[in-house]
Amino acid sequence: MTQVPTDLRKHEEVVAEFGSATTSRTWYFYVLLAAAVLFLLVSIGFVGTIFWSSLPTWLHGGLSLLTGKGWTAPNGPFGGLAMIAGTIETSLIALAIAVLIGLGTSIAIVFYIPRRLRNIVATLVELLAAVPSIVYGLWGLLVLAPWMATTVNPWLNKLPFATTIFGNPGQEFGTSLLLASIVLGIMIIPTFVAISREVIAVVPQDLIEACLSLGATRWQVIREVVLPTAKVGLYGATFLSLARATGETVAVAMVAGGVANMQFHLLYPGTSIASWIALQFGESTSKEVAALMALGVLLMLLNFGLSLISRSLVNRQRKLLATV
Amino acid sequence: MADMQSKTATTESTNRGPIAMQLRDVAVSFHGRTAVRDCSFDVAKNKVTSLIGPSGSGKTTLLRALNRLHDLTPGAKVSGQILLEGVDTYRGDLTVTELRTRVGMVFQRPNPFPTMSIYDNAVSGLRFNGVKKKALLDEAAESSLRSAALWDSVSTRLKVAASNLSGGEQQRLCIARALALDPEVLLMDEPTSALDPIATLRIEELMTSLKSRVTVIIVTHNMQQAARISDDCAFLLMGEDRAGELIEFDTTEKIFNNPIDPRTLDYTLGRFG
Amino acid sequence: MIELEQPVEAGHEMRAEIRRISNRTRARRVATSRVMVLLCAVALTLAAVPLALLIYQLLKNGVPVLNKAFFTTVPSTPTLIAPNATGGVSNAIVGSIALNIYASVLAIPVGVFVGIYLAETESKLATTLRTIAQTMAGAPSILMGLFAFSFVVHDLKIGFSALAGSFALAVLMLPVIILSSEIAVRNVPATLREAGLALGAKPHKVSMRVVLPSALTGIVTGAILALSRAVGETAPVLLVIGGGFTNTWGLLNPVSALPLSIFENAKSPWPSQRAQVWGVALVLVAFIFLVSLTARIWASRKQQVRN
Repeated sequence: MTQVPTDLRKHEEVVAEFGSATTSRTWYFYVLLAAAVLFLLVSIGFVGTIFWSSLPTWLHGGLSLLTGKGWTAPNGPFGGLAMIAGTIETSLIALAIAVLIGLGTSIAIVFYIPRRLRNIVATLVELLAAVPSIVYGLWGLLVLAPWMATTVNPWLNKLPFATTIFGNPGQEFGTSLLLASIVLGIMIIPTFVAISREVIAVVPQDLIEACLSLGATRWQVIREVVLPTAKVGLYGATFLSLARATGETVAVAMVAGGVANMQFHLLYPGTSIASWIALQFGESTSKEVAALMALGVLLMLLNFGLSLISRSLVNRQRKLLATV
Repeated sequence: MADMQSKTATTESTNRGPIAMQLRDVAVSFHGRTAVRDCSFDVAKNKVTSLIGPSGSGKTTLLRALNRLHDLTPGAKVSGQILLEGVDTYRGDLTVTELRTRVGMVFQRPNPFPTMSIYDNAVSGLRFNGVKKKALLDEAAESSLRSAALWDSVSTRLKVAASNLSGGEQQRLCIARALALDPEVLLMDEPTSALDPIATLRIEELMTSLKSRVTVIIVTHNMQQAARISDDCAFLLMGEDRAGELIEFDTTEKIFNNPIDPRTLDYTLGRFG
Repeated sequence: MIELEQPVEAGHEMRAEIRRISNRTRARRVATSRVMVLLCAVALTLAAVPLALLIYQLLKNGVPVLNKAFFTTVPSTPTLIAPNATGGVSNAIVGSIALNIYASVLAIPVGVFVGIYLAETESKLATTLRTIAQTMAGAPSILMGLFAFSFVVHDLKIGFSALAGSFALAVLMLPVIILSSEIAVRNVPATLREAGLALGAKPHKVSMRVVLPSALTGIVTGAILALSRAVGETAPVLLVIGGGFTNTWGLLNPVSALPLSIFENAKSPWPSQRAQVWGVALVLVAFIFLVSLTARIWASRKQQVRN
């Protein structure tokens, strides 16, 4: 997660007043500019190439990619609705898990953990983020899936309203949308904690003291002053975590079951946009490749949109606190 | 304790009348390093007591010990006795939350809660303490805003965000917020240092009129302010070991006109900042 | 002098009731506060437990698999007669090393220069590039794989190769390195730059000779962390490197990679291959943890020395 550059104003003041490496046209300037232009070209190529490769699908099928229920290789029709539905389901459940656990974790780190331990705890949470997603997928597939199949799923199906939400696929399936949601949730906890921790920690101390001085309990301080003051930033953290969840490919590919059928039962196997691309790409014909590229376009738009919303929220939070 | 000689210079003959708070050998240290010590004096009820002295003398540290704000700071230790109506605030039967409803605080920079309206700010203390009845909240809001001389200018826009007020108005809102809980003592930490002279004057007038309802203890680095508004005065100074200590405590009249300790005289005459 | 507008006695009842309510509800409020502390502690534990379980499984299943053959031989396919003949993963190790070295060569110089450019310039181009970098840094890594497939494999007709994989990884690392380099340069105290300029040196020389050396720790740390992330990425390379069972590292040849070998063998019907996968995962995680921790500790030590 990008940190705010510290001491920003002073740096800008000096640069504005005296100039910097890019003020005069030296060889250094041209090297830097060349690199900048190269990056610009790469990013344009990034977006453009995927769009361009997906054109056949849009031209032949129109928007049926978004509405079609079935994915028929090798020549179509290619319907992405099951992937879209799977992405939405798994991401939202994962988000719920991550926000609940992540918010409590952030509050604990900022307010309840003694300062000396704080760094260790924070490092531990960052280590969670450093684990590659394939390892999460592996763990989910070889450890959690069997456990789900033998222990959790049968128990879940005993609950009264179970069959509507969960379905009852029997014991062969440990991989499911639910498992994917859980693994995904675990994976995005560090993302949420990283931002929410920062946002909560910069609530001004004198607001907290003023609240305590009115006879509030520690929890009241958090609930009535800290969280409302940090609210916008917390929404930013939520959107960023959602963005990450929707883009997660490999772990979901390994534990969701990889089946593109439209159903909402959580214990059945399913898929997501990103994981479908990963799983189907290997043996696909050029028509299918174009369709997968089209799914990539969808993923890109979704991710960029969520990421943009998140950044604007976090910036708004920063501006808010500057005036307090 | 009666035979322990206090190092503080005090006129023997003053009878202070009813006492709100008593300090006995109060000292505050952080991770073993003493910040302020040897504070013993009585805070008279319904009077303004000011803590004066140059910066670093421990005035604010002492003030914050009075509503146990140092509980928040790891490594902070408060020794000695601080009595509120005879009850030890640290070791007695008083919970810290109850203490803070009876000893309120106003801070140096006005700090109304930014996400709340004027009304919500004023009654925030009551809400924290479990009061939900609208009639009660409305009554308390009006009463406290009137006491802070703010009612007339905000009564028509109570639901407006508190950040819309000027600095002086925001500080008076913070005073109203503290007063809404009807505390016995109001602690004020340099409440006018962030305000312009006119706003400062209005708050000084306010403090004088509040005396009849609450006991005021104010930290100020502005000697003239202390001379204008306070009845009793405690002068603190940083010692050689960088710890603040109470040098002299007496009526304001005596401190400014005829102090016992020469250092007090030096300070009030402006000989050091 | 301001007069109170209400006589004091009239508010007495209100005040008394407030005090009553306050005292009555206190115990419950304090109890609620304690319960919430507990819940937050539970949340913290729940966040830490999966990591603990994961590390336990990695060690339990991975350590037994690590032997000399694991690191030095190429994989083989088990048969009914020899169900444990999995060979090793040297192809993946060699492939990963090659891919990441090539990717670093592509991404680090360009990324650092763009980062410096962003820190030193206040133009529309700079703001745009920063937003682009922030957006791409959060983009799903499979998109980099699609990009590499479309451009390198298909358009440039290079086919499945280390070059394609390195390209994908480089595009992945680039925005991250840009952002961390910019922050590193911005974090150099402005007074340092001012001092250099006050001595009469030209701005660009100050930037190169004074600011940059000071920012070097941050830049290197950022690059190392970006690299450690790239080592573990599967999606970018999955689509474009082709895989293979030999120790190749040529740019134009298909190569294997550690994450790929996990992906391919996790669903293997042979228990011995599934067991080997844990070893690869352990190596991967151990490498990433070590690199991240070392980089961070080194960076904070240097920061302390400077302070």
